[in-house]
Amino acid sequence: MDPAAFLSTVSWVAAGELSPLLVESIWSMLGEDWQFVLRNADYLLGGVVITIVLTITSILLGILLGFPAGAIEVYGSGYSKAAVRNLGILFRGTPILVIMLYMFFVMPIEYLLGPLNTLIGGIDLLLGPTPFTAPEEIGGAFFAATLALGLRSAAYQSQIFRGALSSIDDGQMEAARSIGMSRLVALRYVIVPQALRRSVPGFQNEFTIVLKDTSIAFAIGLGELLKRSDDLFIQQTTAILEIMLFASLIYFVLTFSTNRTLDFVDNRFAIPGESS
Amino acid sequence: MTDSQIDRSSRTDRGTDAEPSPLLRIEDLRKSYGDEEVLRGVDLEIERGDVEVLVGPSGSGKSTLLRCVNRLTEVDGGHIYLGDVDVCAPDTDPNEIRQQIGMVFQDINLFAHLTARENVMLGLRRVKGMDKEPALERAEEELDRVGLGDQVDSYPAQLSGGQKQRVGIARALAMDPELMLFDEPTSALDPELSNGVLDVMSKLVADGMTMLVVTHEMRFARGGATGITFLDKGEVVERGPPEQLFENPEKERTAEFFQSISHE
Repeated sequence: MDPAAFLSTVSWVAAGELSPLLVESIWSMLGEDWQFVLRNADYLLGGVVITIVLTITSILLGILLGFPAGAIEVYGSGYSKAAVRNLGILFRGTPILVIMLYMFFVMPIEYLLGPLNTLIGGIDLLLGPTPFTAPEEIGGAFFAATLALGLRSAAYQSQIFRGALSSIDDGQMEAARSIGMSRLVALRYVIVPQALRRSVPGFQNEFTIVLKDTSIAFAIGLGELLKRSDDLFIQQTTAILEIMLFASLIYFVLTFSTNRTLDFVDNRFAIPGESS
Repeated sequence: MTDSQIDRSSRTDRGTDAEPSPLLRIEDLRKSYGDEEVLRGVDLEIERGDVEVLVGPSGSGKSTLLRCVNRLTEVDGGHIYLGDVDVCAPDTDPNEIRQQIGMVFQDINLFAHLTARENVMLGLRRVKGMDKEPALERAEEELDRVGLGDQVDSYPAQLSGGQKQRVGIARALAMDPELMLFDEPTSALDPELSNGVLDVMSKLVADGMTMLVVTHEMRFARGGATGITFLDKGEVVERGPPEQLFENPEKERTAEFFQSISHE
């Protein structure tokens, strides 16, 4: 983006139209390194998009696998319970960087990635481009990062959900059974709705952690925010402070707004009369 | 209120005509937890419209007995018949049985995330498969009956203990049970809050509901019970009409027990 165009956009948004002269003087006050960061802001914002999308796909994968896993740990038995528990221990006990390198370099992800891209291409072909289909093919690094972050998150989310489920008083299940509900119906309408509410504070942590740990995908070359910040640093090594401050600010805005959103969810679904 | 009373008594009449056999028959019921024998061969028969009060020292097996009746606890031996149905038979669906047997718990156990109305509705909707509108009306009717018509939108945490327990009773009644089990319904409540619950229970007695009640409220036992069973160490020590057990117990243990609770 052209620096002058960028600044005039910013200033227009901030305080209405500013005179070109003022824009010019602000620009010159910033110094060379800040100018460099702002000139490349659109490159960084492209990384932010990848960071956000990776966070969302990872958390979704985590929810999809973590919730059933948590339920199995509480209500399951035998092999299913043992398998889930041991997988959880494995994923929680391995550094995320190691998991990610393993997913990218060791796992034969191309066998999964191929069919997945065909599927998405098929949906695209049938429905036309929708917001739910990727504009391009999913890259190997993105896929591996989603698997790594998603599986690790599932391992933690299962513990959050497990704790919430087992914190629900046994009397709730008994009361539900006493009016003739089957175990499954009681879970669906009595236990899970309460457990989900109790999970929100735990998920708040977990979502923030996943968001920040997307930066580890840097190690497998995925062009998310940190990787692109590093690209800029290589171009202009004197701007390291400015680049990192800028990236940190973006991470902070993202984590802060995630937390506030979940605060809102927590309040919105709080049970009246109960202090959560 | 009058309407629902008529409604209720006609419902119980219908049952009495059809089956002369006792509504609940318990034969040689046995239950152990590990090495501890909690019930050692209990026999009990309850006719339709009877209100049987179970009394006994703590650990005598009263609550376990109640929980066996609706299979919240599985028995080790003996039989329980509800009408002609063998409650403990392996091919008896406990969910069917439980719809016919309402239960009120000592620690109430209202569904914490639902309003009073939704608590009563849930069984109607998800067990009986009722549509929303009729379930809503039925729930409000039942809450009206326990004197909480103005609290239908309150959540459990916004109600007093006594009010919660009355919602608990309404929740059980909504399923149209033939038999109501009360497991120390007022023990967790402050004395001044118990009265509302006891009033509701007395009204149920007047309506002809068949009830099996574990309680320490001797006023209720004197006024409402058709029979009292004194249970000690997992055995029925003595059973008879309230006057007999209160005034003239045959067994010394019974006399001692009633003496000890009257001194409290």
